[in-house]
Amino acid sequence: MLADVIPGLMSVLTPTVLFFIVFGVFVGIIFGSIPGLTATMAIVMFLPVTYTMSPIEGVSTLVALYVGGISGGLIAAILLNIPGTPSSIATTFDGAPMARKGQAGKALGVGVVFSFCGTIVGLLVLVLVSPLLAMFAIKFGPYEYCTLALFALSLVISLTGRDLVKGLISGLLGVMLATVGLAPVDSAKRFTFGIVDLNAGFSLLTLLIGLFAITEVIKAAEDVRKPVKAELETNVHIKGFGFSFAEFWSQKLNMIRSSAIGIVIGILPGIGGAISGMLAYTAAKNQSKHPEKFGTGIMDGVVASETANNAGIGGAMIPLLTLGIPGDAATAMLLGGLMVHQIAPGPLIFDKSGVEVFGIFFALAISAVAMLVIELFGIKIFIRVLKVPKYLLLPVIMVLCVIGAIGNANRMFDVWSVMVFGVMGYLLIKAKIPHVPMILGFILGPIFELNFRRAVQHAQIDPTGVFSHPIAICFFAVTIIVVILSLRRQRKEAALLQASEES
Amino acid sequence: MKKFATALTFAAALTVGAAPAAFAEDAYPNQTINMICTHGAGGDTDYNTRLISRLLEKRFGVSVVVNNVTGANGSIALTQYKDDKTDGYTLIGTNAMSLASNEASGLSDFGYDAFEVISVYGKQCGENLLVRADAPYNTLEELIAATQKEPDSITLGVAMGGSSYIAGLIMQMDNDAKFAMVDAGGDGAERMTSLLGGHIDVTIAPYTLAKEYIESGKVKSLCTLMSERLPATPDIPTAVESGVPNLKIDTLYVLLAPKGTPKEIVDKLNAAVLDIVNNDPEYKEAIMNFNFQEPYALNVEDSIARLKEQREHMMSYAKYLQ
Repeated sequence: MLADVIPGLMSVLTPTVLFFIVFGVFVGIIFGSIPGLTATMAIVMFLPVTYTMSPIEGVSTLVALYVGGISGGLIAAILLNIPGTPSSIATTFDGAPMARKGQAGKALGVGVVFSFCGTIVGLLVLVLVSPLLAMFAIKFGPYEYCTLALFALSLVISLTGRDLVKGLISGLLGVMLATVGLAPVDSAKRFTFGIVDLNAGFSLLTLLIGLFAITEVIKAAEDVRKPVKAELETNVHIKGFGFSFAEFWSQKLNMIRSSAIGIVIGILPGIGGAISGMLAYTAAKNQSKHPEKFGTGIMDGVVASETANNAGIGGAMIPLLTLGIPGDAATAMLLGGLMVHQIAPGPLIFDKSGVEVFGIFFALAISAVAMLVIELFGIKIFIRVLKVPKYLLLPVIMVLCVIGAIGNANRMFDVWSVMVFGVMGYLLIKAKIPHVPMILGFILGPIFELNFRRAVQHAQIDPTGVFSHPIAICFFAVTIIVVILSLRRQRKEAALLQASEES
Repeated sequence: MKKFATALTFAAALTVGAAPAAFAEDAYPNQTINMICTHGAGGDTDYNTRLISRLLEKRFGVSVVVNNVTGANGSIALTQYKDDKTDGYTLIGTNAMSLASNEASGLSDFGYDAFEVISVYGKQCGENLLVRADAPYNTLEELIAATQKEPDSITLGVAMGGSSYIAGLIMQMDNDAKFAMVDAGGDGAERMTSLLGGHIDVTIAPYTLAKEYIESGKVKSLCTLMSERLPATPDIPTAVESGVPNLKIDTLYVLLAPKGTPKEIVDKLNAAVLDIVNNDPEYKEAIMNFNFQEPYALNVEDSIARLKEQREHMMSYAKYLQ
């Protein structure tokens, strides 16, 4: 395995790959900084572009978009007081007040540097943990995967939304959509109505483009003609990093704590950066010697939020690479990217694609550096991008969506699917039903079904069944605990979140 | 930009103008050929289709553009293009195993005879029957004897309905093996994971996937399911030699054209394919590096006969597949 480290490094140290990484980070930051466009959308848009690239070029580009996209959200959060992506919601709490105090440059500097730190800490944990988890995960058979999928689904549904029932509706819709096409194990045709195109089922990519790109375009079109109330803070000067080393050092505990929160939340399926930033912010506030200053424009708040959401990238990639289970919508897209390039996530990934995996690790590190440099020195460009009117951006995105859908399998059917999913996603927004459980349901439902059916086959041979699989029993027990706890905490948390967002 | 637009219009006019000329077979091919690949980018079917397309392009001097139209084991593309235009500018690259097993399992209601067969032009390096290195059996005979001693306790991980499942059926019916067959995934890599993780005792996976585990001593190959030994692995016996005469699973790569494509065009394409496969050193090197494949191509009659044989072989197990 270690023999793959150097070839992995060499594979990314080529002019093309480095170019694609810088390009990816740049585009990612643009998507991240414009409210309404997200990191997920950036990956969705560019996944088809990577089809023709070599695996390492393609996956590096996607990773770079991810890093840029998650980090870019801080620009709008600080300068516009609108989170550019959901993961930078908590950055607005102190970032925007700092900008109003005339410290926009410092706020940006802090956000960028700690985004970088978060990414690197997340990456280190990813590098250390995933080979270990891969060794452990080879012990995962049908019983374990079946209960793991169940556990993941329970987490997704109970943690993503504020409303358990709506989370459940969304998750089940995803599971149901995934049943269209050929059934696992016996390849029976289900819900195909004699339509040949439906035999293949819906692809993850079409659902993602529909829900995360088309839906957002329709939503943004609603108020494209409304005058923007938010004021753009353009008086930005960053000297060096914008803050002193003493200030950096004073944040070390905050950084470690926020990274830990970000990584753990990243590993857990379905709860992305939005929650981790919020949790890290709350934790920083509770542990602080001066909690009353939070919200008035202190760097601690920005540090907590930005470290946590970027640390989540490394965290989310741990189960993605070793188990094939994505942590959030953006990593769900990366899963698609890996599969397109024949890198099969799972316990054998280090054996089968060791060079590519280390390539991904190095690409992530280089992306972090690129992000640091581009955001510090290119901030003026992104401020200008924020001024581009939406009615110019949205049609372009729409066109890219259609191209992406066609690129998936060269079938018009996928284009119609994307459109239908887009409209469906819009209606779901109107009903306040969250999207993320649907995506995870769509991915986890088939994993559950497939492994459930396999487990049944195994149970016929070995009558002790699940009782000879302690890991599976653990997952099952934890699932039950999660459901009970989440039912109890549901109201409490919803109230808490609402209060913190309104303040 | 304006220059580009002019060039585009010009090119379009050329294409339209060229269409009637396509009826003159001498002139074929004189425009872009669309090659539909029924499986996803990056897999072995895709690799072979793209390689042969690239070399056909060189030979004919017209573009051969590969499009992957994927889904449902290739059946979507096959259904969509079987009655496409018969001018020889729409061709299909697929593998014969999907064609035959889709029909046998009821996924499609047509077989190779719904197309004009251009050529069987390649043969995969073969599925191997694999066990973990510490398993007590070293040959297929010993394994089958072990299953008879303790029926339904040795698990054979297969893809239900796929070629590995059929291989299991053949052993059960012809040699009275008593495996407990369980689903372990349609992807060979997934079946390898299950074998290495100890969730199944025996599985069937392509040699390319098993190679490094055989070499590192984690896994042993009891036999190959190809009808003949693979030249790259002369020590691995075939299943036929190991006493299961019907266990022959060759994954063949095949080029098809929509039904009704003129014989002259089919013959011309077949001649070009045979020439590339048999005489082009670049081709030989590429398939060896990619997948340990040896050059293998048949003329039109032999291709049809080979597909017919494979279809009948598969259809005799159809009742267990549906």
